Amino acid sequence: MVNLTIDGKQVTAPKDATIYDAAKLNGIKIPILCHDKKLKPFGACRMCLVEVEQMKGRQIPACTTPVTEGMIIQTATPEIVKARELVLELLLLNHPLDCPVCDKAGDCDLQNLTYDYKVDSNRFTDLKFQHEIDYNNPLIERDMNRCVLCGKCVRICDEIVGYGALTFIDRGIETKIGCEFEDGLNCEFCGSCISVCPVGSLLARPFKHKARFWALTKHESVCGYCGTGCRLTLGVKDNKVLTTIYDENQGFHKGQLCVRGRFGYQFINSKKRLTTPLIKKNGRLIESTWDEALDLVAGRLNRGNSVAALAAPRLTNEELALFKKLLVENVGTKNFDHAAGYAHAALTEGFSRSFGATASSASILDIQKSDLLLVIKTDSYETHPVVGFEVNMAVKNKGVKLSIISDKRGKLSKLPHAQTLVHRPGSEVAVLNAIAWTLLDEKLVAGSASLIAGYADLEKSLSGFSAEAVAAQCGISAADIKKLASEYAAAEKALIIFPAGQAYSGHNADLATAAANLAFLTGKYDKEGCGVLCLSEKNNSQGAVDMGFFAQDGGLNGLQILDSCAEGTVKTLFIAGENPLTSYPNRSKVKAALEAVEFLIVSELFLTETAAMADVVLPVCSFAEKDGTFTSTDRRVQYFKQAIRKSVLIKTDYEVFSSLIARLGGVAPATPAVLFSEIADKTAGYQGMTHVSLLKEGAFAAAVTTPKFIVPQAAAPFTAETGKLSLVTGSALYHNGTLSQYGEGPMHVCPENYVELSRTDAALYKIAEGDLVTVSSSSGSLQLKAKITPRMPAGVVFSPYHFSDAPINTIWSGAPVTSVTVSK
Amino acid sequence: MNPITPIINGLKITLKHMFMKPVTLQYPTERPKVAKRYRGLHALNVSHDKAKCVACYLCPTVCPAKCITVEAAEDANHDKYASVYEIDMLRCIFCGYCVEACPVDAVKMTEEFELANYNRQDFIYSKERLLVK
Repeated sequence: MVNLTIDGKQVTAPKDATIYDAAKLNGIKIPILCHDKKLKPFGACRMCLVEVEQMKGRQIPACTTPVTEGMIIQTATPEIVKARELVLELLLLNHPLDCPVCDKAGDCDLQNLTYDYKVDSNRFTDLKFQHEIDYNNPLIERDMNRCVLCGKCVRICDEIVGYGALTFIDRGIETKIGCEFEDGLNCEFCGSCISVCPVGSLLARPFKHKARFWALTKHESVCGYCGTGCRLTLGVKDNKVLTTIYDENQGFHKGQLCVRGRFGYQFINSKKRLTTPLIKKNGRLIESTWDEALDLVAGRLNRGNSVAALAAPRLTNEELALFKKLLVENVGTKNFDHAAGYAHAALTEGFSRSFGATASSASILDIQKSDLLLVIKTDSYETHPVVGFEVNMAVKNKGVKLSIISDKRGKLSKLPHAQTLVHRPGSEVAVLNAIAWTLLDEKLVAGSASLIAGYADLEKSLSGFSAEAVAAQCGISAADIKKLASEYAAAEKALIIFPAGQAYSGHNADLATAAANLAFLTGKYDKEGCGVLCLSEKNNSQGAVDMGFFAQDGGLNGLQILDSCAEGTVKTLFIAGENPLTSYPNRSKVKAALEAVEFLIVSELFLTETAAMADVVLPVCSFAEKDGTFTSTDRRVQYFKQAIRKSVLIKTDYEVFSSLIARLGGVAPATPAVLFSEIADKTAGYQGMTHVSLLKEGAFAAAVTTPKFIVPQAAAPFTAETGKLSLVTGSALYHNGTLSQYGEGPMHVCPENYVELSRTDAALYKIAEGDLVTVSSSSGSLQLKAKITPRMPAGVVFSPYHFSDAPINTIWSGAPVTSVTVSK
Repeated sequence: MNPITPIINGLKITLKHMFMKPVTLQYPTERPKVAKRYRGLHALNVSHDKAKCVACYLCPTVCPAKCITVEAAEDANHDKYASVYEIDMLRCIFCGYCVEACPVDAVKMTEEFELANYNRQDFIYSKERLLVK
């Protein structure tokens, strides 16, 4: 700590603090425009000028000057105030002063400072800028006339997002922020630049002119898309969620959001929301009352084992626990599951055997504390963009090494010094096994590893996975595998990251155990910056596992439930929030099963294609209309409060399940809070948590791990049939599950399904960008738009699974890799 | 005091008033002369055949009676305009804060004071009705 004097006040500050940090820490306000605590100091705006006695009274910027022992600082002498007024006068000289029509008014740093310093006249005259306003994309409006050249957007896009879409162009008075070749903005539209812009230069178009900042009430919540568990501030006016508001103090990510979190909120107040229960009569869904619908549902649920349920891991922990209670205690069935029954296998089968806990052994916070990140599939960025930002920051700011094993390149491969080993699709487990073999072969194993149960079995089973043998199958050279193994072993701290989800059927228990084995062999677990992190797909995937909402003790799993529906052994199926018709593999099979089941109940926000097949549709609430807890992928349990009132005729899933329990003669806990205290008592790691204690930041549920080597079964190497391509499925950056289809923001930039193929294949089949191509597999064919990217290796095509209009499951039956033909 | 004196004094005043101009205004045949700064019905100023209003929301923000509803929209030139501008005259207290707050001189108050109507709905003045004709 350093002692210094600011404005006559004796204060202390950390050694690496700047004057600005030191002042802020001690409650002294220094005005800033260009500084953001997440970004590196820049010193562009000159608003934070202070006087330091030791520097002979010169005016120096507080945001870039580090503190030294005994510094005597004045932050508000008349000279400094005069200098700041001059800075503002010069900024306002070219600033258009169109506050009445600028959406930033009320939240504008320049406006606030002008008000604070009472700059109401200007001694200078100059022309205003006449830059053309960039309306080229549907999400971000760029008006360079209002720009004060603080450079925050440039820096956040480079330092955190790692995209580099914006930069300073030209010199002197003509300097402006622009994109490459002075073109319109065309990036991944995370909107980080909007969040840090101190003026109205960058604005969110979906929110444009919707409301003034001061008319919004701010409600803290948790994002309802992926498993990262980002905290979110919803801007609400007239009971409508109109926007998301940036708060730099929020969560581990400091308010940073991705395109889905920032722009995908429109589903909450969508006009397409269901407003009343529907009951199928004479083949048509007719509007009905809750009493009639619930009586009908309760009458069909009372049938023990012939009832099955699928829940979306978007329900809160309380709802999932209550649903399980309803099914087990009141209905008497064990047939319930989530995420198609396989997307959680990495946790429920893989980690549970390897670590003895159904949770990842590392958290997202470990990413920046590690020395080496081993990422399996570049898709980790697309599935969990904010985790991707953490990887960017680790690599760019902390010098963390990044090694990627993937079937295609991606944004993460572009990071500085990132090493990407592109293997043939479907051979991830074999590659991990080959790394394990190399560790054993080259004696890179930590001393403690041989004490872990199963060591001998693993050693024996890996004999077939020599680096050379695997290299021959998977398309990576043996030398690269060996190099990666030695780097992984040599790193003091190393973290393995892989995504899981319904489109990643290859990321199963075997992959999880193979990754865990590497951590055990080198002793890189249970330490800061070490372990294995499975990125679960949806906002409460980990919570669904923690609540035990998956097939156990002989219950049918997700896919078996659908098989049993088709066979007729399951007669009543309750689907809470899932959309299996689009998101589960093999559409024709799912469709047949849903048609065959005697009684189908769907509780949903929207009339999805699955809901359209139901006998009863129950309209339920989105996360903004209810209270509850979500557990993020690294087991951070976060409580969120209701942000808007629900409409009169919809209920929360909690209310639906408790009325059903009451109708079946049981008693449900009165409120989610009461149920959560029961959950906290009996769920490992949740002890002591209450809604109140989780209100501000949430808390990590610790996982107790007992390592054990498990022999992973590597799938036989996949080779596409001759003349065919290998189709890999996955997630698109702009979407998560099928819910994001109802968010206008994501649909503006990624409105339809596509197939991504390499330049080589495009040339071979004479396909141009945007061509409509027919992709056929043994199970069907589908027309998709072609997208030609340099990231795909020859012979491999990629397509995401989110879209109901062109669902990939018509040609994909759940295999990690599918042979397809692509033709025009 | 002589009991007659007050009566005489009173009659003096009465007589004086008999020769003065009457105070009563024979409304509606006679019209009152409204002061220049009278705060009557609102009107939206027009410039270049368009309402001057840029939908900055300062008037609904400052309005103590919360009687102004504005909804902004973006026109073909990406300019902001008020797609909805309504004043609920039943709630309005004619304080004139809206006029004071307006940064673009878009709203004024006229001398119009005859605001009676038969239906409650008719007291909600839409943008069309408020525009200066």
